[in-house]
Amino acid sequence: MITLEHLHKAYGDKTVLEDVSLAFPAGQVTSLIGPNGAGKSTLLMCMARLLPASRGRILLDGQDIGRIAIADYARRVATLRQVLDFNLRLTVEDLVAFGRFPYSRGLLTADDHQVIDESLDFLGLQALRRAYLDELSGGQRQMAFLAMTIAQRTDLLLLDEPLNNLDMKHAVQIMQAIRRLCDEQGRTVILVVHDINFAANYSDHVVAMKQGAVHSHGPVAEVVTEANLRALFGLAFEILPSAQGFVCNYFNPSLSRELV
Amino acid sequence: MMRRAAWLLLPALVLAFLLLGSGLDFNYVIPKRLVRLGAIVVAGVCIALSSVIFQTLAGNRVLTPAIMGYEGIYLLFQAVLVLWLGTGSVARLGAQGNALLSMALMLGYSWLLQRWLLREGRGDVYRLLLLGLVLTMVLGTFTQFIQLKTSPGEFSILQSLGYTSFNRAQPAQVLYSGLLVAAVAVLVARGTRVLDVLALGRDQAIALGLDHGRCLRLQMALIAVLVAVSTSLVGPTAFMGVFVANIAYALARSARHQVTLPLACAVAIGMFLLAQLLVEHLFNYRTSVSILVNLVCGAYFLALMVRTRGTP
Repeated sequence: MITLEHLHKAYGDKTVLEDVSLAFPAGQVTSLIGPNGAGKSTLLMCMARLLPASRGRILLDGQDIGRIAIADYARRVATLRQVLDFNLRLTVEDLVAFGRFPYSRGLLTADDHQVIDESLDFLGLQALRRAYLDELSGGQRQMAFLAMTIAQRTDLLLLDEPLNNLDMKHAVQIMQAIRRLCDEQGRTVILVVHDINFAANYSDHVVAMKQGAVHSHGPVAEVVTEANLRALFGLAFEILPSAQGFVCNYFNPSLSRELV
Repeated sequence: MMRRAAWLLLPALVLAFLLLGSGLDFNYVIPKRLVRLGAIVVAGVCIALSSVIFQTLAGNRVLTPAIMGYEGIYLLFQAVLVLWLGTGSVARLGAQGNALLSMALMLGYSWLLQRWLLREGRGDVYRLLLLGLVLTMVLGTFTQFIQLKTSPGEFSILQSLGYTSFNRAQPAQVLYSGLLVAAVAVLVARGTRVLDVLALGRDQAIALGLDHGRCLRLQMALIAVLVAVSTSLVGPTAFMGVFVANIAYALARSARHQVTLPLACAVAIGMFLLAQLLVEHLFNYRTSVSILVNLVCGAYFLALMVRTRGTP
């Protein structure tokens, strides 16, 4: 389990994170939500050790992450950032094989090949394993990167906006895969999501950030309420329950005219 | 198919270079040519390895270490030497002395550049590039300014130093350079898998457990050695590295460094051999290797671009 103690992050005199203390529940999916510039990605990058925190500590199972060798850390925490432009000529299989780098430093063992196979199976990518990444659609490429992250076989996965630029079908596929990672394999997933409906329907726990601080956090039912979301985003919300979960309508909620 | 052709072409070019019109003179002509061949191989390996590694670190395929100011430093140093010591500078220092001093200067330059930019462990390649580009221009202007003060004889010496040439290299220098480059090549060969991971970008490399700052510093140091060796041996090569690396990528059809690095070496050596053959036998030294290399590489690269655009 990963915990944050009084985490601060500033660029010069611009504070991005201010006194963030949190404990992320193990074996659950936690979504980080909030407006742009709230510090969600920065928080995730600090946990991934891609950014040093200005003050405060991050503990992984009670151990300060700064004291863990980076090579060991990659066997305990896997990170996936947004895949922007990628022009390397690699096959899906090549990419997923990088997920085994923390274990075998590039010389794949039989064990590694099995894990790569399982990761491809898990996301239904077997048919594409020999396809080149630059010939895939954005959604397929994102799936391939997720497969690499899964192949790292870590207890904790940190995903920075994994749904960015994806169509609905791929977004649903990715979220279902994340759900299965947690339910079937007991892994902990922390992700930044912009679509409140994906956060509400696929995660166990939600952390809402605003202006560099934690606005509210807790189980989905506690955080995703009309009043709380309105305060968080400054936007009127209407939560519509349905048999399969619920939908947060912020496009044209019927209450909006009275509220504004 | 294309890859195999590239590998077969290389020994053919080597044989042609050594034997063509030599009259099988093993006492003078062929030993002289062996020295030039040595210089070509060493310089080719330097340019190929440094360019491919540099492009991997920068995540950009139109850059070479040449634009980082290394060659600018070399030319400025030569200009200063000629201005201070006159045309006799070569004799005063000896060819070895000049080469060693130039190398030391380029290594020092690389060390300063990295030290200034990578303090606090920020591995920001783009700032490094910006600085390198600006410094190249500044150094070039200084060199031009010094050249204004030289006599026409000195100026022509400086001008010839600005071009790639295999005729300057002395046997001893080729030997030392070859040994140094062989040592670097062993280090590079051991790290091809790390280079593959570095190619994924800083964030992904760290996420996969690489100490990114340390890897970057090591690779930059290797690049500095390679560029220093090749520049002091055969002179500036400017943009040849861009062509070499991109031709290698196109032939390799893979981004794995285990494939691209040896292929780039073969391409660089092949290009140099071809250019030198043409200079020696077809043009009778009326043109320079630089011009031919740029012509050949440029034409081939253009053809490659047009062809790959044509096939979806």
